[in-house]
Amino acid sequence: MRRILSRLFSSVLLLWAVFTLTFLLTRFAPGNPFSEGRHLPPEVMAHLMSVYHLDRPLPVQYLLTLRQTLEGDLGVSYKATGIPVSEILSQTLPVSLSLGFAALCLSLFLGLLGGILIGAGPPLLSRILRQATTVLVGLPSFLLAAVLIDLLALHGGVFPVALWEGWRSAVLPVLALAVAPAGYLARVFAASMEETIESPFYRTALAKGVGSVRRILFHLVLPSLNAVLSLLGPLAAAFLTGSFVVETVFAIPGMGRVFVLSVMNRDYPLIMGTTLVYTVFLTVAILVGDLLSEAVDPRVRSV
Amino acid sequence: MSQGGRVRRSSFRGGVVPFLLLLALVLLALLPESFTGIDPLTQHARLVLAPPLTSGHLLGCDFLGRDLWSRLVSGSLVSLTVGVSVGILSTVIGGIWGILSGFLGRPWDPVMMRTLEIWYALPEILIATLLMLVLGHGLLAVVVALSIGGWMGVARVLRAETLRLREAVFMDAARSSGVSPLRLVFRHFLPNVMPVVLVMVLFRIPGGILGESTLSFLGLGLAPPQASWGVLVNEGWKALPVSAFMLIWPAAFIVLSLVSFQILADRLGRRLGVGR
Repeated sequence: MRRILSRLFSSVLLLWAVFTLTFLLTRFAPGNPFSEGRHLPPEVMAHLMSVYHLDRPLPVQYLLTLRQTLEGDLGVSYKATGIPVSEILSQTLPVSLSLGFAALCLSLFLGLLGGILIGAGPPLLSRILRQATTVLVGLPSFLLAAVLIDLLALHGGVFPVALWEGWRSAVLPVLALAVAPAGYLARVFAASMEETIESPFYRTALAKGVGSVRRILFHLVLPSLNAVLSLLGPLAAAFLTGSFVVETVFAIPGMGRVFVLSVMNRDYPLIMGTTLVYTVFLTVAILVGDLLSEAVDPRVRSV
Repeated sequence: MSQGGRVRRSSFRGGVVPFLLLLALVLLALLPESFTGIDPLTQHARLVLAPPLTSGHLLGCDFLGRDLWSRLVSGSLVSLTVGVSVGILSTVIGGIWGILSGFLGRPWDPVMMRTLEIWYALPEILIATLLMLVLGHGLLAVVVALSIGGWMGVARVLRAETLRLREAVFMDAARSSGVSPLRLVFRHFLPNVMPVVLVMVLFRIPGGILGESTLSFLGLGLAPPQASWGVLVNEGWKALPVSAFMLIWPAAFIVLSLVSFQILADRLGRRLGVGR
């Protein structure tokens, strides 16, 4: 219980640090959010700056924004004039979450299957798959997306090129998002299984003559699963970064795309909102991963 | 003895092909004129989107009629420079943090490690993207942003290495023979962490290359007409409906270099006993 409380405390610390850093980065960025693409009369500019409190001294702006954020108000987007950031987030977050969840399921399936085949499959297949994961882990998601679009959408015509309408349009982005993490998972899982194979209890099972399916499933795969659980944090980070690219490529109205566009547009409240939501998401993923792996394997706790 | 020699050599087997590939890539990037002989920025109106092997253009031309091969070669220099610089800079930042944390011990070590852990929760590209807000779009900006985004893994490894070496017998021997602290660090400690530092640089280079190409692809990194693999992929992506070549060539360069660097770092790390 004390451990969880201390973890929660450091999560709050992280949120505050990210808030402050993002605030400083946006305020020290050259130019201002309203100067791009159009020339405004000075009095209009001055009015805009005062409406959004951008003419106040920096510490005042900081405290104002902090209080507003603590009250749960993320402010109003500069670019999509008048639309609250929370409304934009509540529309785009579900899209990103369902995309990410589908990709997580797919990559878990592929990664575990690949890991089992590398760790316990026939030697030739194991070697081929091991080499393949080296390439997959290094494969940037935008390249995979491009290949998929070129083959299956532009020339094959099997799936739509872009947008987010119905399950057919989800197939390619989910695939593009899931493959690299799956390769990573397979490698970690295979390495963990190699360790298990060295362990005394696996050798005991081998010596006792436990049937091969039972041996592989219960004496090899299950004890090795723990390595995968503690990967939940890094995986969440990988999906997040992947979503910036994949949502941009497939023109999916999700949060990754909103984040990239908000940085391009210098839309301060939107940058702040997306970054904070991402931070919450990441800390929750890491926390859940750690708690799960502690629950499964109490030895982790003492380390 | 001969047995030992053979085992050592075979542990580097498979590192030779990636090494030669990278050597070729570096030569290509450093000596562009002798390989292409064509200016990468000259536009030929008649050769817009020409396929490969059209009138002296080995890989064809892009949507402005610029020679793809020479653009790719000049982009290689940019991408490799970014990769190597990110490798070095992030290792320097992470190294200083990790070694200091390991050497200072309590009460600094737990605080520094806690800070690191908190920072580690954020993905490299997220940090780098936010930093690009302030830094602008230049080469240096990309290098600094990616290095600040990704030094944390290096710090962890080097802290562990520092803790291990601090207790080593030769350090005790040096300490007890009355060597000054500065000499202890520079003559006895640093030469012994150098192998790990080198492997870390090598591990971070593909991260830098991938980071640059991702940022540039999203339009947040380097901007045209500056050519880099990321910028070329971005352009090739836009031209995908009309021609796949503009995407295929830079993509092939990125994948080949990433995989080569990864295998090389892996092999070198295993040979020098740096765990990963």
